Amino acid sequence: MSASGVPGGAPGILNEQAIEEKGEHARMSSFVGAMAIADLVKTTLGPKGMDKILQSMGRGEAVTVTNDGATILKSIYVDNPAAKVLVDISKVQDAEVGDGTTSVVVLAGELLRQAENLINMKIHPMTIIAGFREAAECGRNAIEARAMNNSSDSARFREDLMNVARTTLSSKFLTQDKEHFANLAVDAVMRLGDAPSLESIHILKKPGGDLTKSFLDEGFILDKKIGVGQPKRIEDAKILVANTPMDTDKIKIYGARVRVDSMAKVSDIEKAEKDKMKDKVDKIIAHGCNVFINRQLIYNYPEELFADAGIMAIEHADFDGIERLASVTGGEICSTFDHPEDVKLGSCKLIEEIMIGEEKLIHFSGVELGAACTVVLRGASLHLLDEAERSLHDALCVLQQTVKDRRVIHGGGCPEMVMSKAIDELAQRTPGKRAIAMEAFSKALRAIPTIICDNAGLDSADLVYQLRFCHAVPGSAMGIDVLEGKVGDMQDCGIFESFRVKEQVLLSATEAAEMILRVDDVINNSARVQTMGTGIHDSSTCLGL
Amino acid sequence: MSKKSESYTDNKRKQDVRASNMMAAKSVADAIRTSLGPRGMDKMVCAANGEVTITNDGATILNTMDVVSPAAKMLVELSKSQDINAGDGTTSVTVLCGAILNKCIQMIEKGVHPTVISDGMNKAALKAVEILKTLAKEVDLTDRESIIKSAATSLNSKVVAQYSNLLAPMAADLVLKVSDSTLMQVDGTASSMRVDLRDIKVLKKFGGTIDDTEIVDGLVFEQKASKAAGGPTKVANAKIALIQFCVSPPKPDLENNVVLSDYNAMDRLLKDERNYILGLVKKIKASGCNVLLIQKSILRDAVTDLSLHYLAKAKILVVRDVERDDIEFISKTLKCLPISHVDHMKSEKLGEADMVESLMVGAEKIVKVTGIKDAGKTATVMVRGSNKLVLEEAERSLHDALCVVRCLVQQPFLIPGGGAPEMEMSRLLLEYAKTLTGMDSYCVRAFAEALEVIPFTLAENAGLNPIAIVTQLRALHAKGGSSHGINVRKGTVTDILEEGVVQPLLVTSSAISLATECVRMILKIDDVVMTR
Repeated sequence: MSASGVPGGAPGILNEQAIEEKGEHARMSSFVGAMAIADLVKTTLGPKGMDKILQSMGRGEAVTVTNDGATILKSIYVDNPAAKVLVDISKVQDAEVGDGTTSVVVLAGELLRQAENLINMKIHPMTIIAGFREAAECGRNAIEARAMNNSSDSARFREDLMNVARTTLSSKFLTQDKEHFANLAVDAVMRLGDAPSLESIHILKKPGGDLTKSFLDEGFILDKKIGVGQPKRIEDAKILVANTPMDTDKIKIYGARVRVDSMAKVSDIEKAEKDKMKDKVDKIIAHGCNVFINRQLIYNYPEELFADAGIMAIEHADFDGIERLASVTGGEICSTFDHPEDVKLGSCKLIEEIMIGEEKLIHFSGVELGAACTVVLRGASLHLLDEAERSLHDALCVLQQTVKDRRVIHGGGCPEMVMSKAIDELAQRTPGKRAIAMEAFSKALRAIPTIICDNAGLDSADLVYQLRFCHAVPGSAMGIDVLEGKVGDMQDCGIFESFRVKEQVLLSATEAAEMILRVDDVINNSARVQTMGTGIHDSSTCLGL
Repeated sequence: MSKKSESYTDNKRKQDVRASNMMAAKSVADAIRTSLGPRGMDKMVCAANGEVTITNDGATILNTMDVVSPAAKMLVELSKSQDINAGDGTTSVTVLCGAILNKCIQMIEKGVHPTVISDGMNKAALKAVEILKTLAKEVDLTDRESIIKSAATSLNSKVVAQYSNLLAPMAADLVLKVSDSTLMQVDGTASSMRVDLRDIKVLKKFGGTIDDTEIVDGLVFEQKASKAAGGPTKVANAKIALIQFCVSPPKPDLENNVVLSDYNAMDRLLKDERNYILGLVKKIKASGCNVLLIQKSILRDAVTDLSLHYLAKAKILVVRDVERDDIEFISKTLKCLPISHVDHMKSEKLGEADMVESLMVGAEKIVKVTGIKDAGKTATVMVRGSNKLVLEEAERSLHDALCVVRCLVQQPFLIPGGGAPEMEMSRLLLEYAKTLTGMDSYCVRAFAEALEVIPFTLAENAGLNPIAIVTQLRALHAKGGSSHGINVRKGTVTDILEEGVVQPLLVTSSAISLATECVRMILKIDDVVMTR
């Protein structure tokens, strides 16, 4: 039996609760879902985009304030299969290039909005898809032709990076201090050389102070304490990074016990245990290190032994902490200490205790891997710091992409207009229905500057068509200057974006739209009883590829 | 569905969300408004478990309040940050935030775009802090008088106001004692002196009145000396050992059984145990130690009756159940090193003090260490109070006063109190607004008006006519009396510097920048999304 009121469900084939939507209905529900998602994040786009409060319904009712599309989409409750596709592309965008997570969803949403009109005009989805594909290819070529590459000139390249960072940050909460953070981010990424890995940039959040007090530290900061009675400052440190239990080695067999017949023997056992600990400490000291950092606890007794030997011992450095520390100082993480000659010790020039705000932290400077650095974020509240971290992360990702693929392109809606123009021209040369799809694609692209204007409270219709007029001249770098509320030269405004991000947005959005367009049948399998009501919604599956 | 109508309903919702956020935040601010200033009222907060707190401290009120609205939560966070940043002014920052939000609501109603307001507010706040800096005058840290005055200003608005002449000098002395010039600071805030308030231990003891609060020259343990076995309770020329091992029969981590075959063996076992402990005690004694501080152990008894007995015979004073968290503080104060194995008992690891004695304080016993040789940079203060509520409020007030002094150590600048700096900032910002055009001018003006909320509330809470006072103040400031403020005690407007009402620059400047940051964050929100 098919569920009530749903047309087309073949009786007896599907489970009782399963719902099948077909044809028009399926497509309609996909479109509505995708557009709803796009509309949700639409207002966060652009320098005057707004933030959202994410109110968690789970335990603690935690509150997040964010402007980051990926973060919003990641945490919302989605039940519509098409909406989930959009959430996924935003995640992929986040993983691939780190920024443009909102743009990609908005563009996909706009493409579907246009496609809906075309379908109402009885154009076959496959024709639309074909048109979209050609249009996307043409758009990509158009912006590729406009991409600039200044990698040969290091000063200009740095300026490019600064511009890219500023543009990314200007749509985030950090916009007020974007100069400061752009500098910070560019410095951090430039340190990493040609193949930057964001692993070695450590972001530390400490409440207190304000955002401008955030700084880049050329070294590594560990949020831990030095043991009591040990040196608080060590120069030319030789660091042994370890992951080993420092308590007595326990016999792992369950229920193992010893039988003795006198107190002296019990105390012998205790002594033996202590001796084992001492042996281990002696072995560690034999490595010739003067700093010992362990992922696990160092108990009182070994701590004192280390203190006696004048070794700085830091316990309970979390896993991330020691992995990073090992790579930064050039050491190895070891867990057995029998062969000191095989172990590579890490080294650094100076280790000392520093104070940030209220807290004491351990600072490693002059580390082996000169590229590593720590960004310390300061800010009024944890909400702010979390958002600052997300924004900075986006900026770092974009910069990383830009260092890999050194082409940059103008921002502020300029590439969209360039693409739109190129696609319009292509449409004029294309016979048949595909041209309609192309025109729709170009219209969808123009929606991006429109939304940026709308969010800023500007007269979008006027500005976008002024922009189109400007772009009638080939090679124009005009875009929306949101701060001034007019059409401006993006070159002068210094609004640049990474080519790689733009390209990825275009391709992913097209692909996602195409995927949703192809759907003509949605089967919602019946929810498993135990997952009902818990908000787990993996039971609905998108079929139709 | 036409696109136009859709976007229209969207906007409606966004306005609603924004308005409800702002109203929620504003009502939080209004709730604690009446506790501002020396004549501010206290709040009684009843927790769900029936526990009652009476306080005047904004951060504490907000922390205990059970808010649900996300925007209200942000205000709670705001006062927390002010607490971290400056330690005082937690009420002011919330009240200020509420006032600025109120102005923002009015502007949004006029149709100004929120981000424009946000930018304008930022500009105004930067300018305000700049103005504030010109009002500040530098103090020398050796100038104890000024430091005490600023601590007194903070204390005057608390429940314990009548004791401010006792607590204020105390706060000054405590902070100056622990201020440390060796710790490096990487903030860009150039200051050679750092204060870690964790180096100040505040003990609360029932009985007596706040008058009996004192700085202890030395160290105090809340645990009493273990004298079950008749050990000493007073030791002169003490040699103090801080031990992390247990003076009790051995207990290895490995599970063990002692198998006894006959009665004799049991006797032998008991003897063994005695000998073992005696051996430990002898080793302890051999190091010259006569005061033993024993860390609490969760795995086994740190001391047994038997070991206490031997220790008492050896004339060693024992303090047991020392928390692991306190070890660092103790070791820093006494300049002794923790000892974790009996074989490490060496005289160079011991701390020395002239006198260790067990005293009665109120109904409880404490152990007091005085005359510590070569004492570290730590301080201990014992707060007394007649009941729990007063005691806790006294501790909070003292904490605020300590923070105020710490602010001064970090940034040695003082500004007048009593609403004077707010009034002056407001006046200068209004002038600055006239030099601007467009929305910025409008925002700066609104910000300037919002600043007046502080003197207004001060006057209102003191039972004065706020409008009369604020306008009088405004007039005086216009004539150049930049240090005129509200003298709450006399109920008039006077030169506040002559009254000695001063506060650190950092408290007010951080209140302004934090409040603005929070307002800007709330302004930018246009939607509340429910998530998992």
